[in-house]
Amino acid sequence: MSTTIDLNVSPLGRVEGDLDVRVTIADGVVSDAWTRAMMFRGFETILRGKDMRAGVIMTPRICGICGGSHLYKAAYALDTAFASHVPPNATLVRNIAQAVETLQSIPRYFYALFAIDLVNPVYAKAPSYDEVVRRFSAFTGTSYQRGVVLSQEPVEVYAIFGGQWPHSSFMIPGGIMGAPTLADVTRATAVIDHWRASWLEEQWLGCPVDRWLANKTWDDVMTWLDEDPAHRDSDCGLFIRHALDIGLDTYGGGYGNYLATGTYFEPALYENPTIEGRSAALITRAGVYADGVHYEFDQARVSEDVAHSFYRGPDAVHPWDGTQDATDPAAGRDQGKYSFGKAPRYDVPGAGRLPLEAGPLARRVIAGQPRTAPHQDYDPLIADVLAVKGPSVFVRQLARMHEAASYYRLVTSWLAALDLGESFYSEPVDPTSARGYGATEAARGALQDWVVIEDGKIANYNVITPSGWNISPRDKDAVPGPMERAFIGAPIRDPDDPVELGHVARSFDSCIVCQVHAYDGRTGRELSSFVVNSMV
Amino acid sequence: MTTVLWLQGGACSGNTMSFLNANKPTVVDLITDFGLDVLWHPSLSVEMGKDTQQILADCASGARPLDVFVFEGSVIQGPDGSGRFDMFAERPMKDWVTDLTSVASIVVAIGSCATWGGLVAAEPNPTDSTGLQYHRGTPGGYLGSDWRSASGLPVINIPGCPAHPDWITQILVALGTGRVKDITLDELGRPRTFFTSFTHSGCSRNSFYEYKQDTEFFGEGTRTGCMFYELGCKGPLAHSSCNRILWNRQSSKTRAGMPCLGCTEPAFPFDDLAPGTVFTTQMIAGAVPRDMPPDQDHLTYLAMAGAAKVAAPQWAKDDMFVV
Repeated sequence: MSTTIDLNVSPLGRVEGDLDVRVTIADGVVSDAWTRAMMFRGFETILRGKDMRAGVIMTPRICGICGGSHLYKAAYALDTAFASHVPPNATLVRNIAQAVETLQSIPRYFYALFAIDLVNPVYAKAPSYDEVVRRFSAFTGTSYQRGVVLSQEPVEVYAIFGGQWPHSSFMIPGGIMGAPTLADVTRATAVIDHWRASWLEEQWLGCPVDRWLANKTWDDVMTWLDEDPAHRDSDCGLFIRHALDIGLDTYGGGYGNYLATGTYFEPALYENPTIEGRSAALITRAGVYADGVHYEFDQARVSEDVAHSFYRGPDAVHPWDGTQDATDPAAGRDQGKYSFGKAPRYDVPGAGRLPLEAGPLARRVIAGQPRTAPHQDYDPLIADVLAVKGPSVFVRQLARMHEAASYYRLVTSWLAALDLGESFYSEPVDPTSARGYGATEAARGALQDWVVIEDGKIANYNVITPSGWNISPRDKDAVPGPMERAFIGAPIRDPDDPVELGHVARSFDSCIVCQVHAYDGRTGRELSSFVVNSMV
Repeated sequence: MTTVLWLQGGACSGNTMSFLNANKPTVVDLITDFGLDVLWHPSLSVEMGKDTQQILADCASGARPLDVFVFEGSVIQGPDGSGRFDMFAERPMKDWVTDLTSVASIVVAIGSCATWGGLVAAEPNPTDSTGLQYHRGTPGGYLGSDWRSASGLPVINIPGCPAHPDWITQILVALGTGRVKDITLDELGRPRTFFTSFTHSGCSRNSFYEYKQDTEFFGEGTRTGCMFYELGCKGPLAHSSCNRILWNRQSSKTRAGMPCLGCTEPAFPFDDLAPGTVFTTQMIAGAVPRDMPPDQDHLTYLAMAGAAKVAAPQWAKDDMFVV
């Protein structure tokens, strides 16, 4: 995804690329950090002057792992610009597609990208180490093999409705391109059920989905762990025990300030998508949480800086007015620039423009507020874990994995709600000039499009990806981005193999290939460097 | 053992994600059962940092034999030919490509960006992106049309946005099991076994194509008709096996009601996504589709279409893909 990344200025560039991370280490602890995205593709530049609908073809291809999420928000950006009518069936299919992409990402990310670091020899003395090696080793681990292969199943459901995954463009203003049949729905239901039984319950949870979802507090999770050997010995149980043994709950927390743009619409509440009506129609809610206070999310409060990014242009620019004038890094470095990522900031009322963390932890913090309408997702578990334990690599991971159970339940409810005899598409009228905004939650966090249409074509397009938020470089006021902040305080036990940096970087599930360089804080001597594997 | 090194340039990782959807064989099978020794892959490998740099350096120097170099994503040449819009391990990625393609026995380009330049090379191509041996259908690309790998082959091009997982795994298995002589390439360097047929071959809408019956609108409109006539489907002219080897073992774009974008073709994205060209068939004189299947001329087409429409039975005008 996320994967992600072109932290490049243009939203289009933020999804996939190479990220360098430089840290300084003082007395064995990270004292400062810089994240540097090193690849630029210029998607937003390419989109200017193109067909109004080009975003549903171009933006999914920003990111191979979040392509369905890109499509989802690109379609809603056009819906708001076109003032289209979206039949309830189309909303249901879009929701299903968005959710199954995330259900694919959760195990694929966990086994292929995150858990292979847990077998690092630095943890050889941990009580569960031998079992962790047996299960989570790359390619040969028993859980790795099953988990990576079973991650294919949720996107089989995507293909049933969208033709293929990745890179379909089957969502368009007014609905979806196809109209499923009875066989499509029964097959989709069977596929997702097989995934639930074989991976989610048998391998990951060691218990029924409903039993896991009965956990509302951290104490509940501890009780669940000891309640049954099947819980304790599940991959989830093993992960929790090993993570606590090796201290993943003690660092990597970051600012503790969060942004969720929310996703999944209640069909009856968003038949006529508007920017203003968006938040009220969301099932997984939007919101901002900063310094312990919840705020309503408003896209008008988003802006981006380029002071430390390889672009020319002013700072604090709202995405509708965004530009993408890339500079040669060789020249930009002389001006203190160090990344192709722009620095997105959110203007929190009374607190000013802040860097915010996006992702599953952000979503679960927002979902922990009491619901104000019956369609909203209310989920207090992770908010309680955060209150008890504080933010860390572990809590970020637990939030991500927890969502598998709740999103599975949503998918089955949407499949059951499809009314095959009803419409899936309302032909919209193309506007001549309009502005659109669409957003969703990719597996790895808030994903947003701003489109400006003039003279019947795209005048401007701006995408801000979750990795754009998380891997943001410093802003115009030299305030570090969320991941930069999260590195600070991480203990580095072996500077020649700083696996802790990998845990922090990967816990954001950023869509990038990060290259991490560790420097000694006092001498500036390069201690080691390594590539952090990540997706998109 | 066959050594494989996989790098990504101006990429979205979509081909890697597609590759991970492979089944029978899976990616794990390739490594545990088919003898592929993946020296390094940006999303899959345990090795990091110095270990990775050592692998790259050893391959580039020839110290470590490299059988197959796989490249995903465009070769980014900008700004001003420096390649600095894509830095990898402290160097422009294009310099790694130069070094590694010069030592590998076989070079495989995966996806339409690596083969033709693809979507990132669309006008105005802000990163000066290009494919390994073609630039949007014109021979040359980054390596030049005369380039050959150490084993004497041009780049094996597996296009698609993304490439189908089976196209990738089956070529890798063939390379790993001594079947390289069975891989025959067409004039664009594509394995003929996958790219001689069209997306159209095996499409469930062929009965409607035959009688020139169109799909008029999306959603429930796609319960009938062929999308070539109104909705811009490139299926009859795009070379792929998307409807012979289904996606995710389930379906294809055209089966699901989405017009083929022709993403395997060097011209993708067609018309550079100019206004009025997306999901809309480009017509000549308002009557004949501009883009024809290869070797078909507009006049013959017109005659055939006229006869077919007259011959169309009633069922060809009714819904077929019903609830």
